[in-house]
Amino acid sequence: MRAPATSVRGGRPTTITSQATARMFVAPAVIVAAVLLYLPFLWAALLSFTEYRGLGAPEFVGLDNYAAMFDDPNFTISLRNTVIWVLGTILVPVALGLLIAVLTYNHRFGTWLRLPFLLPYALSGVGIGVVFGFLLQTHGAINQMLDFLGLPGAATRFMIDAPINTFTMIAAASWQAVGVNALLFVVGLQSIPKSALEAARMDGAGPWQLFRHITWPLLRPLTTVVVGLSIVASLKTFDIVWTMTEGGPGRRSETLAVTMYRETFSMQRFGMGAAIAVFLTALTFIAAMTYLRRQLSERPEKVR
Amino acid sequence: MTRAAGLVVRPGSIAKYTVLGVLSVLWLIPTYLLIINAAKPLDEYSTANAWVPSLRIGLFDNIADAWGRVDLASGAASTLLYATVAPALAILVGAAAGFAIIALRLKYGFVWFMVIFAGTIVPLQMLLAPLFLGYAWTGMFDTRAGMILIHLALNVPFATFVMRNFFTGVAYEMFEAATMDGAHALTIFFRIYLPLAKAALGAIFILQFVGVWNDLLMGLTLTQSSGVRPAMTALVGLQGMYSGAAPTAVLAGGLIMSLPTIVLFLVAQRLFRQGLSLGQLRDTT
Repeated sequence: MRAPATSVRGGRPTTITSQATARMFVAPAVIVAAVLLYLPFLWAALLSFTEYRGLGAPEFVGLDNYAAMFDDPNFTISLRNTVIWVLGTILVPVALGLLIAVLTYNHRFGTWLRLPFLLPYALSGVGIGVVFGFLLQTHGAINQMLDFLGLPGAATRFMIDAPINTFTMIAAASWQAVGVNALLFVVGLQSIPKSALEAARMDGAGPWQLFRHITWPLLRPLTTVVVGLSIVASLKTFDIVWTMTEGGPGRRSETLAVTMYRETFSMQRFGMGAAIAVFLTALTFIAAMTYLRRQLSERPEKVR
Repeated sequence: MTRAAGLVVRPGSIAKYTVLGVLSVLWLIPTYLLIINAAKPLDEYSTANAWVPSLRIGLFDNIADAWGRVDLASGAASTLLYATVAPALAILVGAAAGFAIIALRLKYGFVWFMVIFAGTIVPLQMLLAPLFLGYAWTGMFDTRAGMILIHLALNVPFATFVMRNFFTGVAYEMFEAATMDGAHALTIFFRIYLPLAKAALGAIFILQFVGVWNDLLMGLTLTQSSGVRPAMTALVGLQGMYSGAAPTAVLAGGLIMSLPTIVLFLVAQRLFRQGLSLGQLRDTT
């Protein structure tokens, strides 16, 4: 669809000058990404083949870090937790976001109905960390409430027992993420032509059938974006775990990102930290590529 | 038939409002707890009565307590600096890249775009150790310029993504006409393309402002002194078990630091939606 760059209009060849100008315009972005994102990335990749504790020169050790990493039970737990995070983040915030969007998008007061869900996104992580801390600590506010209402689970140690503590933190993360997902889905829903829905309704389709056969397929491009972003973000989960449990008790609620951070900055094992980081990057890359390829290859008709 | 359906309360809408109502209440609980406990005088705070608001207002004492403990004033000033300057620069740099690729028809434009955009795939944590070491060697560690620079770099890929998409929706004839009138590329960029993209620019700015404002990781890794350390990072330090700070103070600090983002986000909800719908859904392959 792109026209050749040599558009000679009015007898004025613009190719040479505009290519030079074009490079000037793109240069800042490329330089910034190269120096501050790719250079550190390559450096970390190199560090992962060394033993380095922050002082002296890194010592080349080959694949030792990787071998040690796969042998470490902490790594296995961390990997398992990360997988739980990815699955949980796709299931809960994406599905709930879609539900809220569908329930509110055509509503006169839609903006107001979505407000309770959007508020958490704007709240600072620190306040949230503390609130969830006393909500969820053993004998904390949730336990009290369950006890007060006579519901089961009043004795659950939400932050202590693995893997319950990971589920708990996924719930907290969902609390924060649902609103934004709902907003994105509303944008998608608004782009669905009313005529398509009307036509189906005339043919006697019920609400569920409308959703199943019209809304859902037409929403597909946006769902791809939301799920794709969720996968990438959840693989890198760090902040919420760090503020709520610091990966504890012990190291049982660590995610890969937290394990990497702890190895590097608490234990000063830069090489090991870098090896985990490389593994995490590869995992993210493969997951994103696999997902996108699958989505794009069976892409339905383009939606306008 | 359809008219009657609008007047009669259908079972469907009862279910709908029940679901929405229950979810809304659930979603408001943590916010409620945050506010009432941040507003409690310290002597009334305990996990045993977390649900019950106090009749005495301790909010301002708590804010003052947090404010004094971690020098929140200079933390907030640093945060504000990072959260405004870095996204503004990132948007400018990203828009320029998008402009080069779409309007100036940069050769191998899509490859360059992928080079810039792939920067988002790298997990932030992977950059931490090299950035920390690199910053220490170059004297950028614990400087405000260093913090602005890293947030700039982290925000450029997404800004480029949205702006590139946005500019594909701008008619190319506009660019050609302006060129024929003898306008320089810079003029076209600043006078025509950027003003057209106002909604998208605003939406990215708000998203990235909130992102930088709430950043924890870069602050933890690349800063040390209270003059440079952003407020969020300082507050997390306060939250630590051995900081000796009252939980009410941490809550009040968290609450007060949330106000700017809440206000910004709510005021701009409309802009946010317009900007994104222009940027993200007009994705042409």
